[in-house]
Amino acid sequence: MSLLALDAVSVSFGGIAAVRGVTIRVEAGEIHGLIGPNGAGKTSLINAITGIVRTKGGTITFGDREITALPPDVISGRGIGRTFQHVELFREETVLDNVLTGLYSHHVYGVAAAIVGFGPMRRIEDEARREAVTLLDAFDLASFAAAPVRDLPFGIQKRVDLARALAVRPRLLLLDEPISGMSEAEADAAVATIRKLARQRDITLFVVEHNMRVMMRLAEHITVMHQGTVLAEGTPAEIRDDPTVVDAYLGEEDHNA
Amino acid sequence: MRLSHAVIAIVAALALALPALGSSYQIYLAELVLINIVAAIGLNLLTGNCGQISLCHASLMAIGAYTTALLTTRLSITYAVALPAGVAVTTLLGASLGYPARRLSGLYLALVTLGFLEVVSIAIEEFPDVTGGVRGLSLAKPDLVGWPLKAGALYYFVLAVTALSIRVGVSLQRSRYGRAFNAVRQSVIVAQALAIPPGRIKLLAFSIAAAFAGLAGGLFTAVVGFIDPTEFDISASLRQITFIAVGGLGSVLGSIIGATVLTLLPEALRGVKEYSDVVYGAILLGALVLTPKGIVGVLAMSFGRGDGKARLP
Amino acid sequence: MTWRIALQLALSGLSVGSIYAIVALSLAIPFKASRILNFAQGELVALGAYIGLVLTSYGLPYAAMVPATLVIAAVFGVLLERAFIRPIVGAPEFTLVIATFAIGLIIRALIRIHWQDNTFFLPAPYAGPALAVGPLRVNPAYLVIIGSTAVLVGLLVLFFRRTRLGKAMRAVSFNQTAARLMGISVGTVFGSAWALSAAIGALAGLLLAPVIGINPEIGHLIVKALIAAVIGGFGSLGGAVFGGLLLGLLETYSGALFGAAFKEIVPFGILIAFLLARPQGLWGATQVRV
Repeated sequence: MSLLALDAVSVSFGGIAAVRGVTIRVEAGEIHGLIGPNGAGKTSLINAITGIVRTKGGTITFGDREITALPPDVISGRGIGRTFQHVELFREETVLDNVLTGLYSHHVYGVAAAIVGFGPMRRIEDEARREAVTLLDAFDLASFAAAPVRDLPFGIQKRVDLARALAVRPRLLLLDEPISGMSEAEADAAVATIRKLARQRDITLFVVEHNMRVMMRLAEHITVMHQGTVLAEGTPAEIRDDPTVVDAYLGEEDHNA
Repeated sequence: MRLSHAVIAIVAALALALPALGSSYQIYLAELVLINIVAAIGLNLLTGNCGQISLCHASLMAIGAYTTALLTTRLSITYAVALPAGVAVTTLLGASLGYPARRLSGLYLALVTLGFLEVVSIAIEEFPDVTGGVRGLSLAKPDLVGWPLKAGALYYFVLAVTALSIRVGVSLQRSRYGRAFNAVRQSVIVAQALAIPPGRIKLLAFSIAAAFAGLAGGLFTAVVGFIDPTEFDISASLRQITFIAVGGLGSVLGSIIGATVLTLLPEALRGVKEYSDVVYGAILLGALVLTPKGIVGVLAMSFGRGDGKARLP
Repeated sequence: MTWRIALQLALSGLSVGSIYAIVALSLAIPFKASRILNFAQGELVALGAYIGLVLTSYGLPYAAMVPATLVIAAVFGVLLERAFIRPIVGAPEFTLVIATFAIGLIIRALIRIHWQDNTFFLPAPYAGPALAVGPLRVNPAYLVIIGSTAVLVGLLVLFFRRTRLGKAMRAVSFNQTAARLMGISVGTVFGSAWALSAAIGALAGLLLAPVIGINPEIGHLIVKALIAAVIGGFGSLGGAVFGGLLLGLLETYSGALFGAAFKEIVPFGILIAFLLARPQGLWGATQVRV
């Protein structure tokens, strides 16, 4: 059974079909890439998986349960995390607070405990703080823990976004354009971090990128989208040699190679 | 940190010594300040932290006041029970606002709260046998389980309740719920991606704000002894919004500062009472346009805290 | 209920509904242009009536007082926009909502300082005893109110369809960036929208003044205008008119059928119902749900 199964998923906005009949299987433990030119429907598909957008048709199954029409917070709670293309951190808050917020569903105590303040809340908050610090350490962010996010360089913010997404303890992590906006050196470092992430934490990654070169180095299995449908599927080698993909990407290849 | 500890110690000492040092009018004024602090803390959690606009906070305070008043005067229930009962009733009614809050936001939510305010006003007017209608409701000063609360005793009671409210406010703000409030305010989509349920969080915020308002209302009945419904209209709600906008949105300290300064201000302007609303409106407008972080933000910057927030230790 | 009473009530309902419609219109115009809902609009209505009062007390005849009031109100609207609205255009929603409330609070307090809470009546040449029109007894002021609303709506339709400024306003409300790129001065459009809105609000004040009198509290009817705008949908001018008239009729009939207390509650029942079931109103376009 695949970890994530999309079956004939369609998404429409006011009459325009952004995604049409897309079927994808993401297997547990793999780094699965979703690539396509801008406008291919990748973002709409991600939004459909996370529940932000309603599907017009088809089903989405995570593990053995269907998640198609569930509210986004329930879907996250089931174990699907995501990062955001434009980062979307809580800018006025510190790095630590951002990551702590991600731990909301894992260090739980009731309103009564929160009102009382000492006792259970103190104890669980300490546990949460320890886990948050561990996450920060894993991404070399410990020195930035008390810094407000708005002052930090973009590359660091991307790492905070990643740490926060991991705080949710997802089984499947959707990475939305993780490399966009980065320099060549930053991109290489990010690719290494992401690969290490997948290995060490036993997380399945679903990576959305429009940069073919990066995708080739990162993904083990790639789905190519074009104009709302799946154009091709396979290993990087298979995709690279697929004439339909080369066709669709002819212009893109030259720009990004 | 040392400076803020010292300031708190001084303020606390003054607060405790007031009945010995001040006139009965000054004590009364202090009680009003304390009541407004309680109300402001609740509103700030809802609006400053959770980002939900509420124009009916004063109505909720009125509900708390009327409930407590009616229980003590009509049903002869002791204040010690009537006060929590007032809080409970207000919390339930305030929670009802959580339902529209699930699906609406911003302007439309503001309109719902405005509707709530109007309906409460109408209800007060249309049931004069219960509420005393537009002429208001007067009541004897309460006693706390047979122990008459007068002068100094009442003041210390209100002071104790306020101190407790501050403690609860800070605790909530630092809890996972405080973080959830801030997340929902900044981005519902991100909050959902972090498995935070926005609908339930907004419901919680409205309920908590209502509880604080109900408590403030219940204290009001004991302190003032007379409920004038026109004191709980839209202007009153705006005044409470001014407290938190000027003091600092999202900060318990901001609620304290804003409520204190702006409750005492009209007293300072007592010679020109009609100008009170003008001054309030001007201060509110100025705060919105010029100092988005309020007094607390200004303080934080002068004392050099990097994240622009002043914290209670 | 006899048909005669029903007609009588319809007239009364349309008359009060027309006021709601006018004020709702005056809210909708700047909302379409700058996406800001002016919670001080009620105070602008009151201000219009007070300006009329002042001009009349200076001996200005009615026919001159009305246009003079509208012009003064329009100027006030422009000043308001420049001084307080322009700086907050991009601000978070909280600021947008509360700022105009604050402005309203200030205006109302200033009115109170000068005129206290007394109720004045503005003498109008058409105010007088009820006329007999067939079997009905008709308050001439009602006819003037309904007639003025019809004329106003007609003029606005012409304005938005035929004049350059009107078309520019529609362009800006549709897509501000595109309008700017087309050379439209967005600032001028904003100022004009607020001037127009203030003038229309003042008109409502002048129409109300002979009927219910002027006091600092007439601004309160903005709540009814807001309900009308919710019914019609905030983006729709036609919706604002329809919402106002419908609200006036529903209010009047429910008052006659079920009593005064019910009459007070009905508008808010409608408000809550719409906000829960269809917040964008009957003709509102934008997606409002969270």
